[in-house]
Amino acid sequence: MTLAVLADHASLLLLGAGLVFWFWGTWPLLESRSYLSKLHALSVADTLGSALMLLGLLLRIPGQWPLLVLALVALILWNTIFGYVLANCSLASRREPES
Amino acid sequence: MRRLLPLLLTTGFRLAVWCLLTADLSRLNLLIGLVVSLLLPRAHSRPLPLPALLRALGRSLLAVPQAYLEALRLIFGREPVEQETSEVTTDGAIPLLVFLDVFRITLTPFTIVLGLEDGGRRYRIHSLTPGPRRGDQTP
Repeated sequence: MTLAVLADHASLLLLGAGLVFWFWGTWPLLESRSYLSKLHALSVADTLGSALMLLGLLLRIPGQWPLLVLALVALILWNTIFGYVLANCSLASRREPES
Repeated sequence: MRRLLPLLLTTGFRLAVWCLLTADLSRLNLLIGLVVSLLLPRAHSRPLPLPALLRALGRSLLAVPQAYLEALRLIFGREPVEQETSEVTTDGAIPLLVFLDVFRITLTPFTIVLGLEDGGRRYRIHSLTPGPRRGDQTP
């Protein structure tokens, strides 16, 4: 009983922290900062924030753990790949500025 | 073993994804998953050194708590300074090791891999370092 309450509170805390990370990381997209510093902030939001949320959901609905773990794996894979692709695009545009 | 390892890893990974997706460990489902993961096309891969792989995996796992620490420092710390650095690759010829390296570096909010340079021997890294008053330089 107390364990369930504890898990409930912990999951709320994780979901809240994930939400804070999300907002903190996506807000810079609207500002006029450099492309790469936006990407740095996005890695906080997208990867770390989403991972916290998934952990929170894992505590909340443990019955769905296979899909949540799959989501975590997909998050790790695609965020790494897209992060690399986006960063690499900035490098290409810097080499040929007018193309 | 070194030659067999890539096959084992890809098949194991595909089978694991299959099991997670279907959430069913019955013998028939495992068999279907195994057949599917063997039938899907595979990239030609080089022999994989196991110690290097384990080391890369360990370093990637260690990067997770470090990433959260860096995220907190980025949120609450001073305005960071941008700069470019470079780091030697573990092994630029093996895609899995490159992926693990890129994952480890990109996961931490202070560093992003921009690309490979020097013929695949070094990563070009864009990094943030916490404000000027703090003297420590995290790579």
